[in-house]
Amino acid sequence: MTVHDLAVVGGGVHGATAALFAARGGMDVALFERGALCREASGVNAGTLTMQMTRTALMPYALRAHAMWASARDWLGHDVGVVVCDGLSLAFTPAEEELLAYRAGKRREAGAPITLVSGAQARRIEPGLSEAVRSAGHCRVDGYANAYLTGLAYRRALIEAGVALRENTPVGGVTPTGAGFELETASGTVRARRILLAGGVWIEPMLAWLGVHLPIKTLVNQLVVSERVAPIMRTVVGIANGLLSLKQYPHGTVVIGGGWQGVGDRERGGVELLPDRVVGNVRLACHAIPALRAARMARAWAGLEAETADALPVAGPVPGIEGAFVCGSVHSGYTSGPYIARLLAERLLGREPDLPLFPIDRLLARPEAA
Amino acid sequence: MRITVDGVEWRVEPGEILSAALLARGRRALRVSPRRGAPRGAFCMMGICQECAVTVDGRIRRACVTMVRDGMVVTLQGAGPAAAPRPGAARS
Amino acid sequence: MSGPIRHAVDLAVLGAGPAGGAAALAASRAGLSVALIDENPDAGGQVWRKPVRPAARAATAEPGDALRADLAASGITLLYGRTVWSVGASLDLDMIDAESGRWERVSAGRLVAAGGAHERVVPFPGWTLPGVVGLAGATILLKSHGIAPGRRVLVAGCGPLLFAVAAGLAGAGVEVVGVADLAARSDWLRALPDLLTRPGLLGQGACWMTSLKAAGIPIFFRQALRRAEGATEIARAVIGPVDAHGAPAPGPERTFAVDALCVGHGLVPGSDVTRLLRAPHRFDPLRGGLVPVTDEAGRTGISGLYAVGDGAGLRGAAMAALGGELAGLAAAADAGRLAPDAFAREAERLRRAMARERPFSDRMAGMMRLRPAQVQAIAPETVVCRCEDVTRAEIDAACAAGARDVNQMKQFTRCGMGPCQGRLCGDVAAELLAARVGTREAVGAFTARPPLRPIGFDELMGDFDYADIPIPEPAPL
Repeated sequence: MTVHDLAVVGGGVHGATAALFAARGGMDVALFERGALCREASGVNAGTLTMQMTRTALMPYALRAHAMWASARDWLGHDVGVVVCDGLSLAFTPAEEELLAYRAGKRREAGAPITLVSGAQARRIEPGLSEAVRSAGHCRVDGYANAYLTGLAYRRALIEAGVALRENTPVGGVTPTGAGFELETASGTVRARRILLAGGVWIEPMLAWLGVHLPIKTLVNQLVVSERVAPIMRTVVGIANGLLSLKQYPHGTVVIGGGWQGVGDRERGGVELLPDRVVGNVRLACHAIPALRAARMARAWAGLEAETADALPVAGPVPGIEGAFVCGSVHSGYTSGPYIARLLAERLLGREPDLPLFPIDRLLARPEAA
Repeated sequence: MRITVDGVEWRVEPGEILSAALLARGRRALRVSPRRGAPRGAFCMMGICQECAVTVDGRIRRACVTMVRDGMVVTLQGAGPAAAPRPGAARS
Repeated sequence: MSGPIRHAVDLAVLGAGPAGGAAALAASRAGLSVALIDENPDAGGQVWRKPVRPAARAATAEPGDALRADLAASGITLLYGRTVWSVGASLDLDMIDAESGRWERVSAGRLVAAGGAHERVVPFPGWTLPGVVGLAGATILLKSHGIAPGRRVLVAGCGPLLFAVAAGLAGAGVEVVGVADLAARSDWLRALPDLLTRPGLLGQGACWMTSLKAAGIPIFFRQALRRAEGATEIARAVIGPVDAHGAPAPGPERTFAVDALCVGHGLVPGSDVTRLLRAPHRFDPLRGGLVPVTDEAGRTGISGLYAVGDGAGLRGAAMAALGGELAGLAAAADAGRLAPDAFAREAERLRRAMARERPFSDRMAGMMRLRPAQVQAIAPETVVCRCEDVTRAEIDAACAAGARDVNQMKQFTRCGMGPCQGRLCGDVAAELLAARVGTREAVGAFTARPPLRPIGFDELMGDFDYADIPIPEPAPL
């Protein structure tokens, strides 16, 4: 029986990127995904690549990841529809201006090139903006990808890199054998020297296979998309507290997100959108870009996002289990994911990563609440 | 009652559905498709297909479920989901 | 006004056609408070649609008149002209009143989904040209609006609507250049014994045929559209022979100069609500495709949710009305407002009535059934998804690139991502994928999501103050 150098469980951006770089680094890699690649969080998120919603601790990673997304055609080899453009984080009230100044300042300290601009300046950057905008955080390192293209792009890249791609192949369990791991799949037992668990919100049950308990909270983010409309905006627009993301794709659709919570869980997915919150999110979006009022909502959906107790990633070795690694639960993970997963691949290849990983010991030893 | 279609004033009957009013007056091509720019007209007449989405008083509406109203302003040119490539945003 | 106007009732019925109307009346008579909701300005659905113009009003009473009168006289809360955009897990319905622009919410705890069916048109070159309309669409134009889709018209496709539309057009003084039927004359003759079980409807069919004959309208059996041609509108329609499976067969083509083409290949159940709520479904080709699994009274796998009428599987108006009545009574029984023995008696009566309708209903559904070979014959450059201009070749390419279910294919191509949300192309797209991947069950269906119909953001948000938006707590910094 073949023994892979690395088995990756979970085919989102984290698992797929790590698999890709590990394979390119010379490893024999198999990737297992219970469905199709990038069909959960990595394929249904809003695609925003912004620093203005990024946690300050992740800023160095997010900046490098942004550069990766912007050059996806070079390293991934396939189009994910990335557009680099200006980003604006809006304040409509004095209280929001205060919040904006504080948060933009913290992010600037962390390395994000954010400047505060007046309402009038913001409207010159984004002519679609409402007169109600008092001031805005402006960042040139912003943009978005077309999240639904992620799966196709990674699929092609992984196959080209020689990764043994096993879509529609759920893994039922993983057992350490001392010399490596055995994975139970519907098509039989698979052996690998190392294992990477990259299951997003499913990292918690995956780690349980190894007897490790790491609670992962499941967020259920509601999203709304309009039908195609004539151009009404050219930037990525958010608000001071981070709970709006809004942009128009080149083909004309406008995607409204921001993390308004719907109903769902790990077992069932995002099953229900709460109409009051759809309306609230749409009101906020139309308050920012008034021309959006003329468009129609084509679809709303809900996708899952993983969050640890301290809302920082899990990316590193699993303590006490030689050869086991975990990667995921990155806040705004679509933005930062490729870089953090690439760092993990460096570690798997025995190299020293450029930036530190996020070891999970902190989440196991002493929960934050204690 | 009167409505305006692409700047031209029409007399219509109360109770008329906009798609039928357009068809009865020979306006069959209502919009162009987004990718190919191909002409499109009302197709299903029951609110499903979205081919008769036109601009009514500045808003996108399905003509086949929209009752005419006195003073209604209908724009066929540029209505619906057709979108031109946008300036400003640089593709990577 | 910031939040919705609320209606609390025992039962909400979504769709006021034969099934929904009967369900609402039966439940109301059994003592439930009922709200009946429809997008149209009055009850009747598509099949019993109310004529809106005096010119379109027939001299004789329409089949929907009695239903409309009964509903108007009932104590049912009639919410017509409402666009429903959200159905929650609690079965709450959120809707917009098109007239006033108001946001309303109906909370019932029990919901009858009676959304009906919509047209299936198997794509052919030129089917997107203005002047090409669906058979059901043509029926609505003729019966409800009193206008014809053109002056010189070809009628093509399959099923009884072909002859209804052709006769209706001829009666309206339109030149019908011909009727092209996928079926053979012998198919109809074989159907005759089942059709004889409903002499009234058979008689109506005979009337259509007589009027076609009188008008000298040729019927081309086992012929189908090859293409429609024209620059900005349809100018010509071309038909040619097909085999028993709907695939093109050798033989001469015929070209007709026309200004309209009415075409339909059966109906597809509009199962949006039951799919949105994730009730169990199954693929049933005779019933038009993906249908919710129900018991005989329309109970789905979700407590309090009933599915009736053509939206739960194609059976036609008569069966829809009977099934709707049974579901309305079941809702009353399930709510403890109708005694079990009384329900059993009524159910038995309705069961017998449905048994009488079934041979006719099944035969008609069979005549409208999708012919897979017709789908496989779609040319590569033909647009399948009208909203996004996605061709058959692009769907095939997605499959070659590894798409194994319709939602993955959708992400690869944008097929089904437009404003109709795959309601028009979903059935044919799934069929195309299934031919390469395996079965319809394997490729699944487009995931249903809100809104049930596209809705203007202006309608959705209404009037509000920024300060009233319940903006959540800031995300962690």
